Amino acid sequence: MLLGVDVGGTFTDAVLLDGGEVHTAKVPTTPRQESVGVMRAVERVLRRAGAAASGVDVFAHGMTVGTNALLEERGATTALVATGGFADLLEIGRQNRPHLYRLCAPKPTPLVTPERRFEASERVGPDGVVEPLPGDEPERLAAAVEASGAEAVAVCLLFSYLDPSHERRIAEHLRRRLPGVHVSASHEVLPRFREYERCSTTVIDAYLSPLLGRYLGALGEAATDAGLPQPLVMSSSGGVAPAGEAARAGAWSVLSGPAGGAVGAGLLAGLSGDGNALGFDMGGTSCDVCVVEDGEVRRTDEREIGGRPIQLPMVDVHTVGAGGGSIGWADSGGALQVGPRSAGADPGPACYGRGGAEPTVTDANLMLGRLGGGSELAGGVALDVEAAEHAVGQLADSLGLDPRETAAGILRVADQEMVRALRVVTVERGVDPRGFALLPFGGAGPMHAAAIAEELEIGTILCPRAGGVLSALGLCASERRRDTVRTVMMSEGEMTAERIAATVGSMIEETGAGLDEARPRLTYKLRYAGQAFELPVPGPPDPDPAELREAFEGLHGERYGHVDREGEVVLVDIELAMAVPGPAPRPAAAPGGAVERGHRRVLFDGEWIETPVLRGEPAAGSEAEGPLVFELPEATFVVPPGWSTSVDEHGTIVSRWTR
Amino acid sequence: MDPIALQVLVGGLRAACDEMGATLIRSAYSANVKERHDCSTALFDPAGELVMQAEHIPVHLGSMPDAVAAVLGEDHEPGRSWILNDPYRGGTHLPDVTLVSPIFAAGELLGFAASRAHHADVGGPTPGSMPAFSRTLEEEGVVIPPTVAGKETLEKLASRMRMPRQRLADLRAQEAANRVGVLRLRELCTSLGTAELREGMAEILAYTERRTRAALAELPDGSYRAEDVLEADWDGAERDLRLRLEATIAGEELRLDFSGTGEQVEGNLNCPLSVTKSAAFFAVRVLTDPDGPPSAGAHRPIEVLAPSGSLLNARFPAAVAAGNVETSSRVADLVLAALSQARPGPAQGQGTMNNLTLANDEFTYYETLGGGQGACPEADGPSAIHVAMSNTLNTPAEALETEFPLRVRELALRRRSGGAGTHRGGDGIVREIEALAPMRFSLITERRRHLPRGAGGGEDGAAGVNLLNGSPLPAKAEGNLAPGDRLRLETPGGGGWT
Repeated sequence: MLLGVDVGGTFTDAVLLDGGEVHTAKVPTTPRQESVGVMRAVERVLRRAGAAASGVDVFAHGMTVGTNALLEERGATTALVATGGFADLLEIGRQNRPHLYRLCAPKPTPLVTPERRFEASERVGPDGVVEPLPGDEPERLAAAVEASGAEAVAVCLLFSYLDPSHERRIAEHLRRRLPGVHVSASHEVLPRFREYERCSTTVIDAYLSPLLGRYLGALGEAATDAGLPQPLVMSSSGGVAPAGEAARAGAWSVLSGPAGGAVGAGLLAGLSGDGNALGFDMGGTSCDVCVVEDGEVRRTDEREIGGRPIQLPMVDVHTVGAGGGSIGWADSGGALQVGPRSAGADPGPACYGRGGAEPTVTDANLMLGRLGGGSELAGGVALDVEAAEHAVGQLADSLGLDPRETAAGILRVADQEMVRALRVVTVERGVDPRGFALLPFGGAGPMHAAAIAEELEIGTILCPRAGGVLSALGLCASERRRDTVRTVMMSEGEMTAERIAATVGSMIEETGAGLDEARPRLTYKLRYAGQAFELPVPGPPDPDPAELREAFEGLHGERYGHVDREGEVVLVDIELAMAVPGPAPRPAAAPGGAVERGHRRVLFDGEWIETPVLRGEPAAGSEAEGPLVFELPEATFVVPPGWSTSVDEHGTIVSRWTR
Repeated sequence: MDPIALQVLVGGLRAACDEMGATLIRSAYSANVKERHDCSTALFDPAGELVMQAEHIPVHLGSMPDAVAAVLGEDHEPGRSWILNDPYRGGTHLPDVTLVSPIFAAGELLGFAASRAHHADVGGPTPGSMPAFSRTLEEEGVVIPPTVAGKETLEKLASRMRMPRQRLADLRAQEAANRVGVLRLRELCTSLGTAELREGMAEILAYTERRTRAALAELPDGSYRAEDVLEADWDGAERDLRLRLEATIAGEELRLDFSGTGEQVEGNLNCPLSVTKSAAFFAVRVLTDPDGPPSAGAHRPIEVLAPSGSLLNARFPAAVAAGNVETSSRVADLVLAALSQARPGPAQGQGTMNNLTLANDEFTYYETLGGGQGACPEADGPSAIHVAMSNTLNTPAEALETEFPLRVRELALRRRSGGAGTHRGGDGIVREIEALAPMRFSLITERRRHLPRGAGGGEDGAAGVNLLNGSPLPAKAEGNLAPGDRLRLETPGGGGWT
């Protein structure tokens, strides 16, 4: 049996896969001690399935410990060792201000305070060592770090991606001399050029690792006590690693949560579709989108979390502040805005009846019949239509619109925000969304899917059966994986087949240690000499340089509309993923027969239509035409007129645009 | 158009401009564009009004409309773009080259896509085309009046600049950006219909105007004056150029009258009027509607007057290289200072971009440095950022040293350079660069003698300092560097607020 447990902002979800049989459980998240909620979810899902802990083969875990600690600045007391003259690099960053017109909008607080920044007397340049590191310098630095009371230290020296000798000597000495202090060295975390981004990533790694060590240690003990195997932890790369390894790689933890959803979307896109889908996870406060191509989640290595860059190859999950709790309001120019303010889970939307007075996306869905009045959401919340109407009505008055128009407007504006998010990960990255299916999940995703698909001219929606717990399902399916990137900066003359193969060989040796069945996946990042941004070209471990160039120029022409046949091409980075394929679960559809039929009025395109409502999980093979509403155990799927649906063997409701 | 459809269109246009910007930055060669994002992309309606812009650089926001206005009366046909950089015909200073492409659908003009990029070199006697001591426009590089951007024209223009291959590649990146804009506006036209798209663009302008008017109406009526100076330190002499402003708020309208400002000079601190307007609009936006969509509707309630032939409305053949980068900062300071009498605003920030150009026959490198932001009524001023008309990134030492014969010796916060107060001014930056080969340098800086002022009882920020091997240099300087020479810039701190 495969067990996946995903910790979200509001709920902790568990999925137990026994062959094709899917069992799920949802419990409230326990914010300060996530492992408590995790073990409760485990207990509940095992009880529901009537299974024993000893029958669990894989226990995979997605967490928000690292993300939250970073956003709330609750990480370890951290020191930094930098090249002489560069101790303030972390605070200066790239010198741009966060908001063009709000002059005093704060920059993110540096995670290392000025008195814990230490400078090493040394210098490396693009051609090697310029000023040698004196023999006693590592000891002087270790004493200073120790005296500063730091629990963790990041070492980031200039040009260490080319020549790590100084950085390595300092890091090794710190590890020997201060065994209780976590040491992150930039050439190990991220051997890529651009010192600020590398330094920021390394500092985050140091800042989070001690905390993760404690959390995963506690979880490991709890797992042992419960008779479960040791947890595998989801990393931002979209693969899992043993807890011990994850605890030493803090920077890889920040997308642990969303990565599970992305992998889940990848799994379902392959099982229920042709492998190409846009994953779209809408919850209470935000919406995460990602691209799945041929079953693989698309990755990026340029990302900021809370204004701090992390340049590791992570799943390309783009987040916007549009969720069920996003609040609609009228601005000073008389336009309707939705979000980024959210009513959150508490007090929640007006219709939760817990004191929320402002109209939210959920209130609008309820008013228009898309959500059922009196029905209960997954968290056991009863919905109050009158409270929703009252809140939306007040906004309607200030806009001079009627309440129904206003509710429809809130949905359109929220949909637009999500369309924009999907455009960022598709058209802005050179991907045409029309060749993809839309795969909505999260509590609110399936309610908005059709409108978004129509806007993006997407003809297929894949609404997964376990959409409410897809992240946990994704954890069960994850591959065992380790990633690395190395800046090699080879000019066209240096780019010989032998040299590339030798570099790749040494990378595989270092990264693949202990991963015997792993297969290497390589991405070569190239650009024209003089440009600053690379395009990624996949290839074998021993690529032909001429073929790399050809593939690069093809991409460049496609993306930017021009090619420079005489321009010199540079191989900047090599990205390597060593991956052992994960289990390939095949969730099955519900046995059927449990679907309750009803109907209610739902507003489609300005018209109230008496619409069939199917409550429960539909059986494989059942077919229907929109308009129609599926009330699934953890989500509601709204199917407008013009869409037809059929349920496949995995329980996915496959909808197609028929006009 | 209803308020909902309006938001939807705003989102679509904004995404289009962002995509144009991403295309330009990713395929560009000039360090200014690719590392520092010194570029802008925008969409205009058929009457040449700016409807939406990707927000990179404030100084471009208010000045791009003049570039489109400069070609508006021409005969337009699909696929025929226009190029220009003439500061007196739609440009700002010569390195900013603008490409304007008309957008047609079914034979009808829908609007224009425009992109502006700061090129690493546009010819002229000084490599990098940012001379400290130019006296006429001709001494600053190749002047391009509005011209059809055919393949041969572009090749000919590039051949008169340094590193023509790179120039052509950057122009191709601008073409690619405009193509994206053309495509996306056409798509919006197909999904909405021409009439609805036009109505929508008009409504965006009206909507932005309404927001700005509502914000202006909240400010007390009256006339507010401010005065400041520029440091025209050339020919070994120190002299101040005086700038004056009278800002008059009447209801929901604002008049900014720069009468009393000095005459244009035989140096390069002169501004074409479009730069003056741009800086003024920037400052008004800071104090009125910082979150509104970037459209020219916000400019409608604002009248900007500057006497012809003055520093702020210069006439040909006045040199303008520093007007766009330095005088524009002072114009923003003046507007903020005047309007802060109506409602408390920020203390002065560093008030300069600290322009540094290093070059020889093999390379040109230009950068601008951040400094301290003045403290605001509600918060400390951030340290080590660009404060007004620029928001360009710094160039990483690892990129700089790989490409050029330079070594960065120090990049640090200039501690305690921000003024004290209830809220502190931000600190400046220290940056020291060593030359590894013989080269020329050119420095255009401000606030070396006059301190960024505090607000209320807040202390002033520290003045900036320029040093060559430890010896002070004036605010504007040019000269040679030998291997081993070190240039050190300590940028100004922001004023405090009490």
